[in-house]
Amino acid sequence: MKQIALYGKGGIGKSTTAANLSAALACRGLDVMQIGCDPKRDSTRMLMQGRLIPTVMDLVRERGDTDITREDIVYEGFMGVRCVEAGGPEPGVGCAGRGIIATFQILERLGALHADVVVYDVLGDVVCGGFAMPMREGYAEEVYLVTSGELMSLYAANNICKAISRLSSRSRSTCRLAGVICNAKNLPREEELVAEFAKRIGSFLVLYIPRDQVVQQAELNKKTVVEYAPSSNQAAVYRELASRVMDNRRMDIPVPLGIEDLENLAYEYSP
Amino acid sequence: MSTPRDSGCTLTGALSVTTEIEGSVTIIHGPSGCAHHNFSLLHALCAGRDDPRLPRVLSTDLAETDIIFGGEDALDAAIRRAAGKNPSIICVLSTCVTGAIGDDVEAVCRGFSGIPVISIPTAGFLGGGFHQGHVQALMSLSSLAEDDGKIPSANLVGEKTLETERDEHFNEVRRLLAAIGIPICTRFVCRTSVGEISRLSRGGCNILRDPSMEGVGRFLEERFGTPFISSFPIGSRGTIQFLEEVGRVFSLDVSGAIAEEEARQARIFHEFRSLRGKRVRFCDPFGNRTDSEVCREVASAAGMSVHPEGYPVPVPEPFPVGTEGIRRLLYRWRRACRA
Repeated sequence: MKQIALYGKGGIGKSTTAANLSAALACRGLDVMQIGCDPKRDSTRMLMQGRLIPTVMDLVRERGDTDITREDIVYEGFMGVRCVEAGGPEPGVGCAGRGIIATFQILERLGALHADVVVYDVLGDVVCGGFAMPMREGYAEEVYLVTSGELMSLYAANNICKAISRLSSRSRSTCRLAGVICNAKNLPREEELVAEFAKRIGSFLVLYIPRDQVVQQAELNKKTVVEYAPSSNQAAVYRELASRVMDNRRMDIPVPLGIEDLENLAYEYSP
Repeated sequence: MSTPRDSGCTLTGALSVTTEIEGSVTIIHGPSGCAHHNFSLLHALCAGRDDPRLPRVLSTDLAETDIIFGGEDALDAAIRRAAGKNPSIICVLSTCVTGAIGDDVEAVCRGFSGIPVISIPTAGFLGGGFHQGHVQALMSLSSLAEDDGKIPSANLVGEKTLETERDEHFNEVRRLLAAIGIPICTRFVCRTSVGEISRLSRGGCNILRDPSMEGVGRFLEERFGTPFISSFPIGSRGTIQFLEEVGRVFSLDVSGAIAEEEARQARIFHEFRSLRGKRVRFCDPFGNRTDSEVCREVASAAGMSVHPEGYPVPVPEPFPVGTEGIRRLLYRWRRACRA
């Protein structure tokens, strides 16, 4: 079983990338499970024809955590991809991080965590221990950073490297950085910049995903690009991503950059 | 100097105050264990004093789902439950986990009217121990005080409600104040009613239990313009100075009261005249050698000398208050010296 997690700045396109990656993996005949680890709960929507599936935390809120079955929380979407949304508290109250931890415990108890590939799609930043849960022992072993060439996006990715290097230094930890995915904003020299960033933190650029209108069109039609426009260039890119992820053997302990180095790097590549 | 009161949990310190308010209910907003530990401790201390009252403590009994979704609803329900018991006041104490997830306890408490509902922040992980909780509870409760004119009377601030000789200490301070015609306005807080707390600002002087309460003293001075005296009286000279200090605050001539007190002290030293000429050394409760200025003063006034090979005599902690405290101290010393 391959377990991968996608982390990156909020709004950078993690969920879009994760859903298209899951769809492309499923198209290769793999049994895929995607777990949305964000209280916003919209990670799996495009795999579910626009449907917001009930979240694990919704069910816990309604009926407590003992009376939940696998069927209540796992929903089959496009090409049989099994979708789970962790969900969480209302914005501004409680502890969303603890909600992620509780979700993982429930998934474990129900024996729901099995597939050829499990894709964890995690909230923008690793704000607390709860959101690092997917990186802990027994879960995602390969972390992919999703970033554009914008400084704030690189800054967030660099921050997540701190969490990865902290967690991977623990004994028995199997969590490593597998690579950096550039989800482009179509900035000049963006691919070069992200590739250089990846190199400097001790990793590599897995794939450059260009910005394409078709992504928005697919979303308006409540589908992944892989489903909506399978013959488009963009769908081919996502299929290429699936292929590279399956072949990737890189497992690095990243070295986060200092803020000045990061700024200088972005400056070097500015137009 | 660090004392056992600096460690422990802020929650316990605050409870030592809130459970002393007549007719109060205290809600501990957190997992049930936080309430259980503290309830057991208070119950054991009350039972040890032959006080059959059970501390009125409720827990919001939070579980994991309350932590994930926020504990404010559980708190709201608990306050309603407490209000059903017709208490004089509801005190809400926060705990580590509700502090960590940021429950807005203050705002939930503000949502009630009729019965006063007071929020006291006591999340232990924020630092401070028992003492900090005691101080925090007094600060929070002072919001009940109405801003009134002063009357010639004194408040006692920060009595250690769990200490063994707390009633003896109180009686002695009351006796000394009565000797110069000053009644007690509010005991803030020890066996106190809510009405008494609301009159806090009328006291013309705050007498702090000991200097560790100076933070509260300054706070109340700023808030109500009430001057404070840093400690209950300790030792023979200290007791005379205490009378002088209170006299200064109220612009009273206390020379008569001082003369009477000195005569009382002389009678006590006479009563324990069998101690004269004894050699003693001072020991802490663990039998280790210690020193204490006030003990040396008492020993010398009683005609004793301090010597490394003398009889080991105890230095009680906390030190007995006032002239009557000296009597109890000399009684113990006499037993230690077999005099």
